[in-house]
Amino acid sequence: MTGLRTRGAPLALALVALAGALTVLATGPLAVPPDALFAALFGAGPPEAELALALRGPRLLAALTCGAALAGAGAGFQILFRNPLASPDLLGVTSGAGFGAAFALLLGAGAFLTQSAAFAGGLATGALAVVCAALTRSGDGRLALILCGIVAGALATAGLGLVVIAAEPYSQLPSITYWLLGSFTRATAGEAALALAPVGLGAAILLGLGFRLDVLSLGDEQARSLGLRAGPLRLLALAAAALMTSSAVAVAGVVGWIGLLAPHAARRVVGERAGQLIPASMAVGALFALLIDRLSTAFGPAELPVGLLSAAVGAPAFLALFVATSRRA
Amino acid sequence: MSALVLDALVGGRAPRGGPGFRLPPLDLTARRGEIVALIGPNGSGKTTLLKTVAGLIPPLSGRIDRPGPVAYLPPPGAVSAGFSALHLAALGRAGRRRWSPGLTPDDVEAARAALARLEVSDLADRPFDRLSSGQQQLVLIARLFVQDAPVCLLDEPLALLDPTHAQAVETAIRALADEGRVVLASSHHLPFAARADRVLAIGPDWIEAAAAAHALGPDRVRALFGVETSGCPCCGQPLGFGS
Repeated sequence: MTGLRTRGAPLALALVALAGALTVLATGPLAVPPDALFAALFGAGPPEAELALALRGPRLLAALTCGAALAGAGAGFQILFRNPLASPDLLGVTSGAGFGAAFALLLGAGAFLTQSAAFAGGLATGALAVVCAALTRSGDGRLALILCGIVAGALATAGLGLVVIAAEPYSQLPSITYWLLGSFTRATAGEAALALAPVGLGAAILLGLGFRLDVLSLGDEQARSLGLRAGPLRLLALAAAALMTSSAVAVAGVVGWIGLLAPHAARRVVGERAGQLIPASMAVGALFALLIDRLSTAFGPAELPVGLLSAAVGAPAFLALFVATSRRA
Repeated sequence: MSALVLDALVGGRAPRGGPGFRLPPLDLTARRGEIVALIGPNGSGKTTLLKTVAGLIPPLSGRIDRPGPVAYLPPPGAVSAGFSALHLAALGRAGRRRWSPGLTPDDVEAARAALARLEVSDLADRPFDRLSSGQQQLVLIARLFVQDAPVCLLDEPLALLDPTHAQAVETAIRALADEGRVVLASSHHLPFAARADRVLAIGPDWIEAAAAAHALGPDRVRALFGVETSGCPCCGQPLGFGS
């Protein structure tokens, strides 16, 4: 019975996220009846439904993709490091992506090039952390990875500071600051769809690793004693999580808290097994991203940056979740 | 190949920056079905030896012939997992599932059977972290049955356990051996060593495998631990040399 409940739960959460997505498409200043929306989705709807789809579709896709990616990567990191404080930022990936984007903006790059630079910066920082950790010979490699992630992230943050100082204060600096605060609106439908590929690949790897992530969470010795090659498998999982995080930051800028909050919320529903926790976290993350994106337009014509809102909503929500969990324990 | 053979094996840690650590050379042939108890004072190198035989740390020299995969169980309390005891036991099959993303129903059934066999079926759905040390140890030994490796290395399997759980764990260890596995288990609980088939004692600069009655004689225990006793130095329990 428990098995059935946990097995069905990720699917149920995904359906809730889907329902949320349809609600977002159909409601707002331009309300569209669901049947017209469905018709428009398949290319034969009334003009107002087509318009709603064109206006809301890209940012919806960006929000869903980024939310799911950050949450899935966060869950992966939390399992791998058996640490509830692990987040997608663990290897310095987020800072690296922010540095990459800021550097590109400093050089006057366009939107697509900025996103590519963010993606590359994130992956490069993650790779730096992994390579540094490989140079150490500590018994269980996880502590070395955490420390080297802090080092790589600090270097990227320092680089970002340099870029901010070098930036022209009236034109470049605002665009850099605004980029770093996060938004789901700057991605075109094509760019958001482009991010689906690396996010999908990363998610497929994490889901394919499945129970092997559970074994890795027991530590290197246990993994090796159970017949798994701990080192290569963990590297694969880290690469997948870094890929997902970099894609998300490239599309939306720095949107914190989703990667920390969503896995904790999902864990309450499905428990700790990677096979359930990762898909459930992705569904919760997508839903949370939808929610803050809708919220960002709720306070008048000027949109609030989603990076700010995700912290403003996510931090108290995380605290509430933490209090509720610790009281139950 | 039906035995675990250690040929002039020297375990230890190479001096890399700090002081190295070197165990005396060891020749040992442990047959399937045999329980070898590993005794010695703290810091004598029991864990190092077990991890060397398990292949977790490289030997300094010598050879190890393993009859197949080796399962290594750390001391009670060393394994932490938030998922269910049943899932943890089923992970014993992890090494056999090369490409599938999930464990098979067959794996879960094997885990259920192993838990039932050790009479801990009621723990199946409880989070492993919420179990007591004794319950955790029984679940981990159930995982050894699921893993079904021909060599089982257990590091202090009886530490932290009350007499009831210690007895249950010891019975399970005997069952592991009776099904044709080589069992090498370290312990400070000398009555357990007395009931083992052989005792491997690690002293400060010597290492010796012998029948339990010889290895646990008062002079040997004095040489090993520096205490005068005819029973267990820890609990005073008499050393009944059973089988």
